[in-house]
Amino acid sequence: MKLIIRKLITLIITLLVISFLSFAAFSLIPGDAALTRLGQDATPQQLAALRAEMGLDDPLPERYADWLAGALRGDFGESYRYEGTTVASLLSQRLPVTVLLAVLSLIMITAVSLPLGIACARYSGKWLDILVNQLTQLAMAIPPFFLGMILTYVFGLTLRWFQPGDFTQPSEDLAACLSYLAFPALAVALPKIAMVVRFLRGSVLSEMGKDYVRTAFSKGNSENGVLYGHVLGNAMIPVVTFFAMVIAEILAGSIVVEQVFSVPGVGRLLISSISDRDYPVVQAIVLYVAAATVLINFAVDLLYQLLDPRVREA
Amino acid sequence: MQPLVEINNLSIRFPEGESSFDAVKKISFTVGAGEILGVVGESGSGKSMSALALMGLLPRDAEVVSGEIRFRGQDLLAMTDAERRRLRGQEMAMVFQEPMTSLNPVMKIGKQVGESLRLHTDLPAREIRERTVAALREVGLADAEAICERYPHELSGGMRQRVMLAQAMITSPSLLIADEPTTALDCVVQAQILELLKKIHRERGTAIVFISHDLNVIREISSRVLVVWKGQIVEEGSTKEVFSSPRHEYTRRLIASYPAREPQDGKGKPVLRLRDLDVWYETRRGLFGKKGKKQVIRGVSLTAREGEILGIVGESGCGKSTLCKTILGLHNRYAGTVEVADGARPQMVFQDPAGSLNPARTVGWILEEPLRLRGISDREERKRLVASMLKEVGLDASFAGRRPRELSGGQRQRISIGAALLMDSRLLIADEPVSALDVTVQSQILALFARMHRERKLTILFISHDLNVVRSLCGRIAVIYRGEIVEEGRADDVYEHPAHPYTKLLLASVAGRRAAGEDGRGPERPEGAGEAFLGLTDQKTERAPEGCVFFDRCPERCASCRDKRPDPTDLGGGHTFRCRRGQPA
Repeated sequence: MKLIIRKLITLIITLLVISFLSFAAFSLIPGDAALTRLGQDATPQQLAALRAEMGLDDPLPERYADWLAGALRGDFGESYRYEGTTVASLLSQRLPVTVLLAVLSLIMITAVSLPLGIACARYSGKWLDILVNQLTQLAMAIPPFFLGMILTYVFGLTLRWFQPGDFTQPSEDLAACLSYLAFPALAVALPKIAMVVRFLRGSVLSEMGKDYVRTAFSKGNSENGVLYGHVLGNAMIPVVTFFAMVIAEILAGSIVVEQVFSVPGVGRLLISSISDRDYPVVQAIVLYVAAATVLINFAVDLLYQLLDPRVREA
Repeated sequence: MQPLVEINNLSIRFPEGESSFDAVKKISFTVGAGEILGVVGESGSGKSMSALALMGLLPRDAEVVSGEIRFRGQDLLAMTDAERRRLRGQEMAMVFQEPMTSLNPVMKIGKQVGESLRLHTDLPAREIRERTVAALREVGLADAEAICERYPHELSGGMRQRVMLAQAMITSPSLLIADEPTTALDCVVQAQILELLKKIHRERGTAIVFISHDLNVIREISSRVLVVWKGQIVEEGSTKEVFSSPRHEYTRRLIASYPAREPQDGKGKPVLRLRDLDVWYETRRGLFGKKGKKQVIRGVSLTAREGEILGIVGESGCGKSTLCKTILGLHNRYAGTVEVADGARPQMVFQDPAGSLNPARTVGWILEEPLRLRGISDREERKRLVASMLKEVGLDASFAGRRPRELSGGQRQRISIGAALLMDSRLLIADEPVSALDVTVQSQILALFARMHRERKLTILFISHDLNVVRSLCGRIAVIYRGEIVEEGRADDVYEHPAHPYTKLLLASVAGRRAAGEDGRGPERPEGAGEAFLGLTDQKTERAPEGCVFFDRCPERCASCRDKRPDPTDLGGGHTFRCRRGQPA
């Protein structure tokens, strides 16, 4: 319990530091929001007036404090680009799409890579292992945009299982949305599946060489009894960390895949906001990504306590 | 009568690409029901291989080329996997060398111990639980109920080895294979585990195959012995016969005693002087944790004089290695004084020669390094010095071009010693330098230490947990317990008339001494010896921080020991010990 509280405090400090750094970074970039909004033709008077109105002249700590006070209430300000639209409402359109995409790909990754990784270790050196090894190498070597294009071509244009570009919002028709998202999710999942399969296979094999495995065999356990009863519990410990990194990455939104499949998620919003210098939006997304990463790590720490008795009291 | 195990013409081979390595060559032997068979040999001799083949636990790349293994008359190699699994864990069980790694780290002890019963019987969970607790009690773990709920990392090495024994014995197998079960343990714990094995054998009549490289242990426990050398049985017979009149040349070399000790007057000028040394580590937990102090060495005063070999004895975790680091100046959290004589240039020889030599460099480079540090810039000169040092440590100049991994453990240790000597060191600190070596190699390296000491008038601080080794080499010894010197004196005085209860316990635990004692040649165990003395039941007591360090385990303690640390008592001739029994009441 004490540990959880300590971790939570570190977590909050991390988020504060990240949000401040990104806030400070954006205020250092030349060409501020007022200039963006009014364009190059604006007069200095117009610029000065708008700056004063937007609060851009206040000192940095003050602006950060303002922003933070808002952020704590869920108010991230208004978008510079879309006048009159709050950042919160922009994000609330995009976030569900990205989260849905992430969940779908996570289901794919878990469903495929766990059994496949274990099977490869169990039959290491056999044809299954050799075949999977080749395939995973291929899946990791293909750049994401190209993989996306291949999937679009095969499933969208040739097989016509989905209509590229014809995205349905989850609020309108969830089933239609999911059946569209399945394909970008596959594009996100494939390289990750390859990585997790390899990692898990390696972890199981290295555990198989340990002394306690010999002890387990000496008691009369079968090959499967040793694998499921003894080895997996140990082999999963490093895999959990690896998996957490994958989850955090996916939750941050796959910019390339969202772009290729025209999925209106956080990743695409981030790209357009950066090029539009729509800093309130960028700032909110940075905070979201940081929070997602930090929270996943927090969850992993807790999971570790469950999986590994050796870290419990430390 | 039919033997329990019958092995005929067994050959085991490891294919290595085109060629192959024969680990076991046409071995034949039997194990009778209820006997203890000792199997002795050095690492790589193939002594474990036939036992692993018997269990069906050979490494995957090993293959049985020929022969048969019969258990109760049935041919094991002709059985199906399922049939062999039924025997494994039920009729035959095994205990391994490394108690630290042989238990599953994420599974509770109770579950691991009861596993064989779950696999081989239909007993209800409650019954399994009861038998698990009973099995743990039988191996001397009094607090069995609580231990069931704990994990391996929460137990000491000795406790883990008891847990291993409990999980092997829970199904009452007729054969127990113990593969170096005491090698990784401290002296006292080693004696406890041996007593436990004897007790199991006595009470259950279990046949035991006891595999070890340690002759003294084999001699103590087994009635019959096989000597394995290069995959073959070179000698076989009753333990008494083999030890008293070895026939094979290898057995003779194994039994040959350690080199004779050189006389050391111990009157030279001090090379190393420690005074009231306290050493600690700083502990800090996390970013917000409190700073703490973990004291490792307490109030140590010690002097090593020119030309003496001073032995430092103690079990693992007693602070021996920290003491070395402090003397070398590698650890600076200490109070008190460390004086090293000018020009002594203390150098270290480590336990693990494989890990302490840079694997990416040649032996020549490694040996030249101290010369470069000394500022000898002439390459030819360096090469000449290295070549002559290689000869001096018993190798030859051709070794300069090799890399550490191409050398055996003994050869690497010779390189380590050579490197220290090339630094022109007058004070050698050897931290368990022969513990990782085979017995025959051990005696060679000890002989090298003795010769270097004789020829160069070296001062050596020789740290070891092995009392036989220390006695064979050292003129004076200091016994350390939990960071304090509890007894110090001339080796003969301490060995013949141990004064501190801990020293007595250590000496009583030495396998060779006990074996000898049974023949009526050496001293018997002190009063109260046996299971109780060796602490076969784990009792726990708390002492005050300023009390006697040995209070927890002392068989001769009294109430005052809990609170007061005794002052040293001088027995004359430099023999001192710290125990209240030496003090006037």
